[in-house]
Amino acid sequence: MEKVQLNINGFTRIVLVDPHETILDTLRNRLFLTGTKKCCDEGTCGSCTMLIDSKPVLGCLTPTVRCVGKEIVTIEGISSGDDLHPVQKHLVKNGGMQCGFCTPGVVMTAIPYLEENPNPSVNDIKEGLSGNLCRCTGYKKIIEAVKDAAEELNT
Amino acid sequence: MSGPIGKPTPYIDGVDKVTGQAMYTDDFRFPNMLYVGLVRSPHAHARIKHIDLSAAGKDPGVAAIAVGTEIPISFGILPISPDENAMAVEKVRYVGEIVAAVAAETVEAAQKGAEKIIVEYEPIREFIDPEDSLEICGKDEQIHSHTKEGKNIHKTAELRFNEPEKALEKSPFKRTESFKFAGVTHAFTEPHATIAIWNGDETLTVISATQVPHYLHRNLSKVLELPMHRIQVKKPALGGGFGGKSDPFAHEMITAYLSMKTKRPVKCTFTREEVFITNHGRHPTTMDMSVGCDNDGIITALDTDVIIDGGAYGSFGVVTSYYNGVLLQGPYKIDKLGFRTRRTYTNKPQCGAMRGHGAVNPRYAVEVILDMLAHDIGIDPCDLRMKNFLSENTLTVGQLRITSNGVRECLETVREKSDWNNRYGKLPYGRGLGVACGFFISGSALPIIWNRYPQTVVHAKLDFDGRIVMFSGASDIGQGSDTILVQIAAEELGIPMDFVQVEVADTKTTPVDLGSYSSRVTFMVGNAAKMATERIRNEMAKAIAKEKSVSAKDILFRDKKIFTKDGTLDIAWEDGVEIAMAGRGAFVESGYYISPKLGGDFKGSGAGLSPAYSFGAFISEVAVNPDTGEVNVEKIWAAHDCGKALNPLAVEGQIEGSIHMGLGQAVSEDMRFVQGQIMNANFFDYRIPYSVDTPEMDVSIIESNDGEGPYGAKEAGEGPIHPVLPSIGNAIHDAVGIRMMELPITPDKILNKVREKN
Amino acid sequence: MSYYFKPATITEALSLASDYSNNYVYFGGGTDLQIYRKQKLIKDEAIIDLSGLTDTYRIQADGNALRLGAFVTLDDITSAPEIQKLFPLLAEAAASVATPVIRKTATIGGNLLVNNRCTFYNQSKEWRDAVGSCMREVGATCLVTGGKDKCFSRNVSDTAPALITLNATVTVQTQKGEDEIPLKEIYAPDGIKYHQHMDDAILTAIRVPEKPVDWWFKKLRLRKTLDFTSLTVAAAIDTAGMARVCLNGVSMSPILIEKPIADLTLEGLTRSARKNCKTVDNDLMPLKYRREMINVYLNEWWQTVKDK
Ligand SMILES: Cc1cc2nc3c(=O)[nH]c(=O)nc-3n(C[C@H](O)[C@H](O)[C@H](O)COP(=O)(O)OP(=O)(O)OC[C@H]3O[C@@H](n4cnc5c(N)ncnc54)[C@H](O)[C@@H]3O)c2cc1C
Ligand code: SF4
Ligand code: FES
Ligand code: FES
Repeated sequence: MEKVQLNINGFTRIVLVDPHETILDTLRNRLFLTGTKKCCDEGTCGSCTMLIDSKPVLGCLTPTVRCVGKEIVTIEGISSGDDLHPVQKHLVKNGGMQCGFCTPGVVMTAIPYLEENPNPSVNDIKEGLSGNLCRCTGYKKIIEAVKDAAEELNT
Repeated sequence: MSGPIGKPTPYIDGVDKVTGQAMYTDDFRFPNMLYVGLVRSPHAHARIKHIDLSAAGKDPGVAAIAVGTEIPISFGILPISPDENAMAVEKVRYVGEIVAAVAAETVEAAQKGAEKIIVEYEPIREFIDPEDSLEICGKDEQIHSHTKEGKNIHKTAELRFNEPEKALEKSPFKRTESFKFAGVTHAFTEPHATIAIWNGDETLTVISATQVPHYLHRNLSKVLELPMHRIQVKKPALGGGFGGKSDPFAHEMITAYLSMKTKRPVKCTFTREEVFITNHGRHPTTMDMSVGCDNDGIITALDTDVIIDGGAYGSFGVVTSYYNGVLLQGPYKIDKLGFRTRRTYTNKPQCGAMRGHGAVNPRYAVEVILDMLAHDIGIDPCDLRMKNFLSENTLTVGQLRITSNGVRECLETVREKSDWNNRYGKLPYGRGLGVACGFFISGSALPIIWNRYPQTVVHAKLDFDGRIVMFSGASDIGQGSDTILVQIAAEELGIPMDFVQVEVADTKTTPVDLGSYSSRVTFMVGNAAKMATERIRNEMAKAIAKEKSVSAKDILFRDKKIFTKDGTLDIAWEDGVEIAMAGRGAFVESGYYISPKLGGDFKGSGAGLSPAYSFGAFISEVAVNPDTGEVNVEKIWAAHDCGKALNPLAVEGQIEGSIHMGLGQAVSEDMRFVQGQIMNANFFDYRIPYSVDTPEMDVSIIESNDGEGPYGAKEAGEGPIHPVLPSIGNAIHDAVGIRMMELPITPDKILNKVREKN
Repeated sequence: MSYYFKPATITEALSLASDYSNNYVYFGGGTDLQIYRKQKLIKDEAIIDLSGLTDTYRIQADGNALRLGAFVTLDDITSAPEIQKLFPLLAEAAASVATPVIRKTATIGGNLLVNNRCTFYNQSKEWRDAVGSCMREVGATCLVTGGKDKCFSRNVSDTAPALITLNATVTVQTQKGEDEIPLKEIYAPDGIKYHQHMDDAILTAIRVPEKPVDWWFKKLRLRKTLDFTSLTVAAAIDTAGMARVCLNGVSMSPILIEKPIADLTLEGLTRSARKNCKTVDNDLMPLKYRREMINVYLNEWWQTVKDK
């Protein structure tokens, strides 16, 4: 076990972790930050997406020790209830989620995506979210929500 | 409608879901909680000779161990086929079947503990191919001892009406074709998870990712021999089901048992591979089907013989067997109809109910054959369908009662929107359009367990704070049933949605609802919720009428006001609440739903009965690359008759999700096996479409306003999957002139056929 | 016991590797390795995380040549304007790997050295134990062919064929020093030991000598995202008229066919591809189809050059 200091959502946490442990397991099992979801645990679904130094990464493929000294932002760090990020707001409004299990990952993929691509077309968004598995929605309303969020962010 | 009914309404739990606050089963933890480690069989069919627990027992991290003989009572979703055990007793029947379990202090300790359990097996002949299961085998080779004639056939379902074979012989146009469908699985995103807590008062609480808290409640009681009044089952937020969480599961029994044994909370969460192994997905199917037509394209008869590969256990299989035939009674009028379905046991993970239960594969077959017949006769496939639709308010040959029916409007809508008349058969080689229709139940009229209770009960409570709380056993699995409950209460009482909250899916506090399966929730729970809130309104009106000297029947509830048209009464909701509660306090009204008595009195007449049926028609446009066989589904026009869309946002979502799932089964998803073992138990190799693979969708909601549905509503969660697959198959024919009889339609199969043809 | 190290220099990394001899793994983006770890296909004690080697992150375009640090991510490659302009083949190959988010972590070095795959091997431990593990692991036979002497696991790198056709070289560092070798030479036609000259070596850079005059790329997969390749074909023609066609996903190593364009015929090309590819039934797409697609893809490329 290794003692590491992590900066999560702007707050410092000290935890004992196994060097092979993933940040997804550390967050969920040791820190009780369960907003980040574990769906496949092997890089194929995007549910565990979070930001590390502003870059989206898959929590299930990232060793916790690798995150030391970096800024980790999880879904819990995006907003608290009322001040939803436009991506979140439009996902709710457009019905861009059903069971909601893929949703934190979608949010954490779409937010940095829109930062890099402020004016995406529908096809661009499809491409940008092409690592996020959603079994419920058929993606249409997710994509529309992200498009609406882009428009809101641009005004 | 003046309230939220019929308006696009975001989910009430939407904010929790987008912020990561929604709690799914695995997100809970409890003090002193243990974790389950499972020992699974590496054999497809073997006798258990010996289980050595000694090493695991000595492991300091392991708190308890369990094996099958400790809780040997069998269970299953259907009371007619309870053939499963919590853990294998005497023998294992598929690779991955649970043989033993440990509860340990950490997940890792549980895995290590499980690895220390040593099981000795004696392999028995394996039945992997369903064809083998149709043959007589040795007594000790039988997968289950209860099957008849020494064969591994679980169920033969057969019904024949009006000698279809004779009519087929005489039909001027006739097609007999063979189809083959790979097994597919739900692949919901949230893996199975269960937490069991043995409480100090000797009661058991089970939190589980289930679509059927009620049936889990019953089966836990049976297996654990614990009376039902000491068991509470709760369903928290649930990450998708599609039928895959609609059985009681072995791991739920095991987790509960380990909690009883250790008197500690115990959690079990599956890996993605375990989810695949658990399966319960759509049955791999082979199907011979004959359909005849007269010279005008009127269907004369249909006859089909089906083999479905059930895997090792029963699950919903008896129902599936019937649905493969009886759900061919719509949307076309077919008066001479016959089918036989044989469900085999094989040594593979069991199959069960999956979105569109039992009807997806036969729907593909019949729609493809109708397309062929249209070509044989020389009429447009849409026209042929138009000629054959059932009317409204009629009975089918097997006495399914059709009430509202919007199928004509569905087909006219997509035909128009896709510019079918100008484009079908006229697109350049490699591009094509295809049409197909669909038909599905809005809830089964017969409950799984026959008794005199209603199929659902909803309680609505009015309290001094003006809030309505809806208590319902209904399981929101992402389809938005919690939101519908709130919409209905708000509609009936003329209050904003934020005055209504739900308390759901908890067998201790909520009245029984049978569960989220067979597309029953909006129809049945909706009716019950409407009744409960109507009764609240009537109670309030009665009290207000008395106090304010107006006639109760003149009182209206709207926009948070209670008033009469003539203005003699005009009070705020809160004032009305105060009047209604004077001298009695908070009160609860109850609503329920019981299906009308339906159907004939022949054996098997109960299958497919529903208080109402949904209809649909879809057109797909595809591009096929004849050099590589690759197919790209570019656009789907979908029209679905859901009676009345109580929440159009949710209805569209169901249709779009169905398109996605149907597309997967049509072109890329299949469960592959090697030596009885699934070889693509992950999302790399079980190929679900992602955003970039999903077509453009044009969704139309058709409202036929059913007389019995709440506000006219019928189902929308499963019916829309049926037309997806055959519309794609038929579009491929229009594109390159080949008929795809085997699913999934992968490029290699297309290329073979294209080359055969050229 | 397991350990994690993040050395700041190559020397340090190499000496850690020798300390842990056979019991370490070099960690690039880790997007390939982590799957192997979860499936218990690697059981190393030490992770030697190479991400601290700061001079391996640069993209340098120099005239018509390109130098890439091994830690440049696939996403950086697809979005770098100089690569889009000079080497769209490479940008397209990189964009065809995995998913957008993975490409932000996955490195070019890691993609060139991605581990070989096989449907009978890339499975969980329980799965392999139940079926009986193959000779690439601890068993005695190959589960695909039943043979006892050869493993046919597939090289699935999508950028390798692209860079090979661009005649790339790689810089590798060992304790003996630095060496620059043609990329194609690090691959061996052996399903078990599919990399050579790479023992303990760290790949630090990739160099592409010049912009090609013509290029082509296609990856066969069922979905438009995420899928590992069933067949990747890259082709490029250099300024001297040398045509290089490289196939991957259909053999233990990338298969290169190199010939002056003037001497090339479609028949010759196809024959030599079919002869050199040791394609066996270890992918989800059927063997016959993958073999046919080799012809179809080569023909498709040929039609594009023929027209020019
Ligand atoms: C969902 C998913 C889809 C994928 N799809 C594809 C795909 O389509 N095509 C594809 O090719 N891959 C795919 N991959 C695998 C992987 O993501 C990519 O190959 C990626 O490019 C690997 O890069 P990496 O930096 O993450 O490598 P790592 O995992 O870090 O390393 C891969 C190998 O290279 C070695 N290595 C890495 N860097 C160095 C170095 N500098 N010096 C010496 N050795 C080194 C490692 O020891 C390891 O053996 C996929 C993975 C996932 C999870
Ligand atoms: S090709 Fe044969 S030996 Fe090699 S990994 Fe696959 S099964 Fe094993
Ligand atoms: S859980 Fe990480 S990608 Fe699926
Ligand atoms: S909303 Fe259920 S998986 Fe996306």
